[in-house]
Amino acid sequence: MSADTTAKLPWFRRSYRNFSLEEKYAVLGMILIAPTVMTFCAVIAYPLIAAIYLSFFSIYTPTMEGHWVGFSNYATLLQSGEFWRSLWNNIIWTVGTLTLQILFGILVAMMLHQNMVFRSLARSLVLFPYFLSTVVAVLVWKWLFNDLYGVLNHLFMWAGVIDMPVDWLGKMPNAMLSLIFVGAWKYFPFVVIAVLARLQSIPEELYEAAKIDGAGVFARFFDVTLPQLKDVLVVIILLRTIWDFKEFDLINLMTGGGPIIATQTLSLMVYKEAFALNQMGASSAVAVLMMLVMLVFMALYLRKAKGPSE
Amino acid sequence: MSEVHINHVYKRFGDVTAVDDLSLLFKAGEFVSVLGPSGCGKTTLLRMLAGLETPSAGEISIGDKVVNDLPPGSRDIAMVFQTYALYPHMTVRGNIEYPLKKRRTPKAERAVKVKDAAELLQLEELLDRKPRQLSGGQQQRVALGRALVRDPAVFLLDEPLSNLDAKLRAHMRAELIQLHERIGKTMVYVTHDQLEAMTMSHRIAVLRFGVLQQFASPDEVYRKPANEFVAGFIGTPSMNFIAGEIDNSDGKLTFCGGGVALSVQAGLLPDGLIADGDKFLVKMGFRPEDIFIGDQGDDALVSVVEPTGHEVIVLIDLNGNEVVARVNPDVRLKAGDKVKLRFRPDKLHFFGTKEGIRLNV
Ligand SMILES: Nc1ncnc2c1ncn2[C@@H]1O[C@H](COP(=O)(O)OP(=O)(O)OP(=O)(O)O)[C@@H](O)[C@H]1O
Ligand SMILES: [Mg+2]
Repeated sequence: MSADTTAKLPWFRRSYRNFSLEEKYAVLGMILIAPTVMTFCAVIAYPLIAAIYLSFFSIYTPTMEGHWVGFSNYATLLQSGEFWRSLWNNIIWTVGTLTLQILFGILVAMMLHQNMVFRSLARSLVLFPYFLSTVVAVLVWKWLFNDLYGVLNHLFMWAGVIDMPVDWLGKMPNAMLSLIFVGAWKYFPFVVIAVLARLQSIPEELYEAAKIDGAGVFARFFDVTLPQLKDVLVVIILLRTIWDFKEFDLINLMTGGGPIIATQTLSLMVYKEAFALNQMGASSAVAVLMMLVMLVFMALYLRKAKGPSE
Repeated sequence: MSEVHINHVYKRFGDVTAVDDLSLLFKAGEFVSVLGPSGCGKTTLLRMLAGLETPSAGEISIGDKVVNDLPPGSRDIAMVFQTYALYPHMTVRGNIEYPLKKRRTPKAERAVKVKDAAELLQLEELLDRKPRQLSGGQQQRVALGRALVRDPAVFLLDEPLSNLDAKLRAHMRAELIQLHERIGKTMVYVTHDQLEAMTMSHRIAVLRFGVLQQFASPDEVYRKPANEFVAGFIGTPSMNFIAGEIDNSDGKLTFCGGGVALSVQAGLLPDGLIADGDKFLVKMGFRPEDIFIGDQGDDALVSVVEPTGHEVIVLIDLNGNEVVARVNPDVRLKAGDKVKLRFRPDKLHFFGTKEGIRLNV
């Protein structure tokens, strides 16, 4: 068989030796991505499909036995107050903590960008909350917030801000505010790192040109800094939205969703349905709905990550 | 249109004295170049005029106002940066308009001024583009436009052409000269390119290590360099130097050095510089175009011939001294040729050996 006729056969009817260089590279490429693809299937695709599948069943968690119920899990959820309350809590938590993270993150990044004493020390210290394990951080904060022994109440009383100990975690809106605050404290360093890196790459001449053009401090921030930060902020906001939206450990450890369900977010509801109420099917349905919400942010992020701005 | 008065200005960065006791007076409407090798303090001087850097000592006035304590925005100056420093997220229009906006110019007036500047700099077609969609020359014009709309008393330009290719640079040079003629503002132009300084300016301030070497017209800087440094810095190829001595016997001055003996034309050096019967150590300088290759004069050997098209640069070995000559391309020379050199007697420069001060009258 001549080379010409071999080349015309479909690839699967030829031996590797007769592949064109391009085809050989394609084979190599497939071999190289195979481990990633398989891992992806095992840890992401399978659980995802399983969750969707389970959400159509009524399942008793300990035995994992159940029967097909179609969309009834979804119907029940969408009619229940708890689901909507959790979604609402989730939104409040995400918007609140993210806003604080961004504002505080930009502010601290700008401070660390200035020439100040102990700058490199401060730059590493600022990362501390981000590197601290959530469990440890929450334990510390819980003690600070403790209504009887907490330093916070003690200090505020001493300073005369309050005249009775405040229940920081057991009452609304305190509990949600405390969560939002601790979330911001824990995650603002991420914003600092990203924003600081970007700040350092803004050419100094832009600020000098703006000074000569008559821009004051605020004008320089809004006309030079902010536009330059725009791209990085969009990415930070999308990433942090996704991460904050599905936050579980911090909330679960701080308030456990309480008082009652006042700070319960969807992740906590998934957990509660599955392991406290033993309703794996309903739990999966919450998870799937939660995923649908997050899909919107994910799509935005992917679009942003793929194409350049404009 | 204002005078700029720089009065005993110093600028120190730690141990480095970037600008050292500088005093200069730029006349209103004058185009002044600040010229010098890299690191001589040109940018520092300009930044002090702009208010981006405060002098360590001394006083700067623009018009009749001392501006030492005025922020950049209140100095009535505009600056064009080497890197243009255009606001990347704003359109060309936005960039040009920005200084007006910050000065709360009414919208209608802004539109008129932007339009005028765009017309002057031929930017009308580009007004809605972003800086990154422009070529280097166009960006440069936008930066000029942003300076222009403000109608400032003084323009400060920091090597604005150095990022452009040779052809565009020549073109922009001509445009800048025209622009200056049209608007007649005081312009301070920093460059390390002597061609730019020589072709564009009314006067050139030559700096070295932060110290003023000479402040004079291009013609004077070229023909009467104040010292050996200026003489060697201005002109390409640069001036040739031969160390030697001048002796005075019976009022007749003769230069001896580098194996040549030349009688020094009367009137070239001040009377009484060298007493009768005395000797004086000097450096003799002469420009490449002021030597002739012919059949009379001192023996020399051609070592390298570099044709550039309109002229030929010849490296000549004159008794061990390397001498550069600029000759007509019709003169056929090649390496190894034995030639004879003559100097133009009225174009010899003499410098003292210690500080390199010009000795000529
Ligand atoms: N911010 C600074 N800190 C310390 N030293 C500086 C600073 N700015 C300038 N210098 C020093 O001052 C001297 C003059 O610098 P300057 O930038 O004015 O030179 P220049 O003439 O503009 O050179 P070039 O032609 O390379 O732009 C240099 O020795 C430089 O190292
Ligand atoms: Mg410079």
